Amino acid sequence: MSRYVIGRVGQALLVLWAAFTVSFVLLQALPGDAILIKFLNPELGLGPEQIAEIRASYGADVPLLSQYLHSIVNFLSGEFGYSVQAGVPVGDLLLANLPPSLWLATLGFLLATILAGVVAVLSTLAPFAWLRSLIQSVPSLFVSTPVFWLGILLIQVFSFQLRLIPVINPGPWEALILPVLTLAVPISAPLAQILIRNIDEVMTEPFIAVARAKGASRSWVLWKHVAKNAILPTLTIGGILFGELLAGAVVTEAVFGLNGIGGLTQRAVGSQDIAVLQALVVFSAVAFVLINLAVDLLYPVFDPRLRIRERAAA
Amino acid sequence: MTSMNTTGRSLLQNDAGVLEGSSRVFAAGHVGNLSGLQWLASLRGIKPGLVLAWSVIAIVVLWGLFPHWFTSYSGTVGVARQQLRAPSADHWLGTDALGRDLLARIIYGTSQSLSGAIVAVGVGLLVGTALGLVAGSARGKVESAVMRGVDVLLSIPQLLLSLSIVILLGFGTVNAAIAVGVTSIASFARLARSEVVRVRASDYVEAAFGSGGTFLRVLLRHILPNSLTSVIALAALQFGSAILAISTLGFLGYGAPPPTPEWGLLIAEGRNYIARAWWLTTAPGLVVILVVLSANRISRSFGKAGA
Amino acid sequence: MIVSLTNRFKNRPVLAAVAGAVFLMGSLTWASVTKAAGASETPVKGGTLVYLEQQPHTNLYPPAGGFYPNGGILNQITDKLTYQNPETLEIEPWIAESWTVNADATEYTFKIRKGVTFSDGTPLDAAAVAKNYDVYGRGNKDLKLPISEVINNYDRSEVIDPQTVKFYFKKPSPGFLQGTSVIGSGLVSLATLALPYEALGDATKIIGSGPFVVAAETLGRELTLKARTDYNWGPAKLAQQGRAYLDTIKYIITPEDSVRIGALLAGQADVIRQVQAYDEKQVEDEGYLIYAPSTRGVNNSVVFRPDNPLVADIRVRRALLHATNADEIVSTLFSANYPKATSIIAKTALGYVDLSSRLSYDLEKAKALLDEAGWKVGTNGLRQKDGQVLELTAYESLPQPQNKETLQLVSQQWGKIGVKLNVLTADSGSATVNNLDPAKAPVSPAMVGRADPDVIKSQYYPTNRNVLLQKGGNSDKVQAFLDEKLNTLLDNLASEPDRAKRLAIASDVQAYVVDQAYAIPIFEEPQAFAAAPYVKGLSFEAVGRPSFYGTWLAPRH
Repeated sequence: MSRYVIGRVGQALLVLWAAFTVSFVLLQALPGDAILIKFLNPELGLGPEQIAEIRASYGADVPLLSQYLHSIVNFLSGEFGYSVQAGVPVGDLLLANLPPSLWLATLGFLLATILAGVVAVLSTLAPFAWLRSLIQSVPSLFVSTPVFWLGILLIQVFSFQLRLIPVINPGPWEALILPVLTLAVPISAPLAQILIRNIDEVMTEPFIAVARAKGASRSWVLWKHVAKNAILPTLTIGGILFGELLAGAVVTEAVFGLNGIGGLTQRAVGSQDIAVLQALVVFSAVAFVLINLAVDLLYPVFDPRLRIRERAAA
Repeated sequence: MTSMNTTGRSLLQNDAGVLEGSSRVFAAGHVGNLSGLQWLASLRGIKPGLVLAWSVIAIVVLWGLFPHWFTSYSGTVGVARQQLRAPSADHWLGTDALGRDLLARIIYGTSQSLSGAIVAVGVGLLVGTALGLVAGSARGKVESAVMRGVDVLLSIPQLLLSLSIVILLGFGTVNAAIAVGVTSIASFARLARSEVVRVRASDYVEAAFGSGGTFLRVLLRHILPNSLTSVIALAALQFGSAILAISTLGFLGYGAPPPTPEWGLLIAEGRNYIARAWWLTTAPGLVVILVVLSANRISRSFGKAGA
Repeated sequence: MIVSLTNRFKNRPVLAAVAGAVFLMGSLTWASVTKAAGASETPVKGGTLVYLEQQPHTNLYPPAGGFYPNGGILNQITDKLTYQNPETLEIEPWIAESWTVNADATEYTFKIRKGVTFSDGTPLDAAAVAKNYDVYGRGNKDLKLPISEVINNYDRSEVIDPQTVKFYFKKPSPGFLQGTSVIGSGLVSLATLALPYEALGDATKIIGSGPFVVAAETLGRELTLKARTDYNWGPAKLAQQGRAYLDTIKYIITPEDSVRIGALLAGQADVIRQVQAYDEKQVEDEGYLIYAPSTRGVNNSVVFRPDNPLVADIRVRRALLHATNADEIVSTLFSANYPKATSIIAKTALGYVDLSSRLSYDLEKAKALLDEAGWKVGTNGLRQKDGQVLELTAYESLPQPQNKETLQLVSQQWGKIGVKLNVLTADSGSATVNNLDPAKAPVSPAMVGRADPDVIKSQYYPTNRNVLLQKGGNSDKVQAFLDEKLNTLLDNLASEPDRAKRLAIASDVQAYVVDQAYAIPIFEEPQAFAAAPYVKGLSFEAVGRPSFYGTWLAPRH
């Protein structure tokens, strides 16, 4: 067991290193660079010699390999450098943007799960086939709606027309209502689909028929047996969805003017703020690797069958 | 971006479809002539939703192939001083900021959007499935290496990846589609691999190996066909999210260069006028929703028939 | 009603008198109330103003204040040596009470006002001013602080006494006086000047002497400014000298256009920046106000890079100039706040001359010029010569309003004479790099705001912004193009101390640029703001940046 764990951790570190290197190469391949963009900006009106001097002082034209090694050493010692675009240390930027993203992602995921659960349960309990079909089309509808479109519509209706929720200068909880809703809608769709399918499958299992034969009602069976078995695959896909939520809520952040990793990434790519981007890659890779590791190690805990299989394999 | 990654199997619903009922009737009809009543009964089996879905797709495909049949306006050149007109008899969906007819823009944008979605799904499907197949069949170190490579792809923020690809390749619908496709490679790879692993462990494949089949032959004859069903189902589902992902790139400012009409770009650009000319963003949005819904509906019907 | 009243009071004279008096008093009070409401110009002290900005600031080093989000903050937290009156464009005293300039504009002496302090308590005296300008004029290599664009030929400073400072220049620098009044010359504390450039994005670290101070900052999202209660040194000619009326200003970053406008009209914000032309009607319909101060500099135009052989021929450039219908662009995309251009600089700019007769829209003339230059219309409708198609490219400019639409309209117009213009969108990186290459970007949008004739030099001179991409400038991709005559004129413009002569040179430069068809000016670009009707006293400095010093909030009805 411990050999397995060490092996997995070793692979995780390899993935981390590879992600860092691949992103370094990718970012260096992009045309232009942060210093050029910032200082060549017409607003500064600098002349060519001045720009050349500035580039030299930033060490912009040092050979790639040494830049790469410098980068690794800095990261390992916790020095993330400065954001060329925002003019603050990268650490500060991350600190300002991570917590809001985490909040948004967590709440969004929770709401999505609830929405998915509601849709799945309704569709299972629906008495008519056409109603069932209709409810099962709801995830498709959710997933076909462009997120920014939904967000803007929600703002127009709830904030400006009905004036229910302020979108400027809101309180800490008010600020989250509309964005969380906007984020939860498309994420709930695949969750709902998986849940529906799994419920269907489990419903056809023999032990359910036995329970029904013994006189259990549909809903009781649903809660007691089906829910437990349907959770596992949901958790798996949930892990990936959460990762997407964290990194990809850029649209919601842009529309609602929120701080977050997505918006930070977008601004950093636009201004080729390599220090920020490298830090983001490292953070994202670490998070991904940790979550994967956790899921891999926790799976046997949830599913006894896997535990037995593992012991048999070991 | 809402690309749908999944490690599960087929995402298709499996309710007791009336389609099975209708196929039984057709089978019965092959024996003898279909009587009038039997034919009418078979009609009852045809779901109106499915018919609607097919007609939407058919119209949209025609829009893509022969746009000039459907509109006399240009999709790219506007008439000055005709900007932001409300829907009227002249312009069924009004005009945009440069005086271009919105319906014409949507019709001419069809080929862009559809080809973009196909490229995006194609990239993910081909590359991802190939990787997954290799990983699942080879096992051992090769599988580890490939799957860790896929992990690297997943651990880099998807937004960073897709924006960087668009910057590297240049702005355009096809390049945006490639960027979206690359971000979906991982899910295809994982799905393909898990399918291959599942099929490999099954009895008939063991039998095939046992009866002396070479690795490649078994792969092509048995493993490939049986693992592809859910992969193709995922592809059909990704079609819709590809259109949306391309539109999100347009929203972020990484869309096709003007004056290219493309549904996602139309939605993204039209959103600025939501207070004054809300139809500019709503109409293309509804078109996208309809097309994606229809595609999903059709993929579900395939799933039922095939599963 | 009067009749019945008198009937009621017929037999009760006292009651009648009292009622009459009450009535009279009531109507008098009513009259005075309405009069007060109409002429309510007594500023109300206190309150919080919510200001919506489109993008977060990038850097608060004052010479980087050209970028509007940066300048919008710097304008409230820093003061300048002089104040340029937004209406008359005259230079008036502010931190400097008076000044003398020598005959050839190589020595400037300023007398500094007494009692001015930075918000951290340190004095703003001659030594502080000298240090500020040393950095702005010479830069600081160690801290990576670049030189300010508006200061030319700076040599050194000299502190004569605590209230007197003198500046020396290597060559005549007539634009320096106006340069002391621009946003880029905001005075900051010595501690701020000791920070490296890369750390100047943190607004709480910027210490100035302005009427407001940065109290709190949420990076990328919002900024809170608080009024400085001991402020006592407004621009000398203003009636207001003491602290600002507002207590607090909240800057909130709201990137979405529709959300900014919706928030304003729904009462969630008080002032917003960047109102698009197509949204103006909606704002005005609701009784809100549009402020569109001109930026008084080089007009929003499309310029050529004559190094590219396709546009090296003056006839081609002239043809494209006459094929551009600025009227159509303005009436399709913009509003009355965006006047059509009649020269390369705005009407309200210093040194403007009316060149509209040479900027006419004339399709026939355009076609004739292209024919004359040897470009014939080919089978696909595009002009060709020696196997080459007249196909040009321009990158859209994100900061300019509706630039993508403008360029598309220009492309449609040029299509009528058989010239293809590809409008490319790109990320900042690719756009910056490609825009420096005349081969890749023979056409480019351009605009710069500054209320001094030096702005023309800023735009065209090789070692400044170099929009035409001449040799010897910031682009190493230029093969040969160099216009000596233009550069000489620009040099003279920047170094002529006599004001009248300087303006004459300015008009020469404008005429020359139009004559050579280096630029096609389209419209005079304002900065468009929208504000609630209860926001009073909102003013703008010469280039359209907001000044909240005199702003106050009337009670809302």
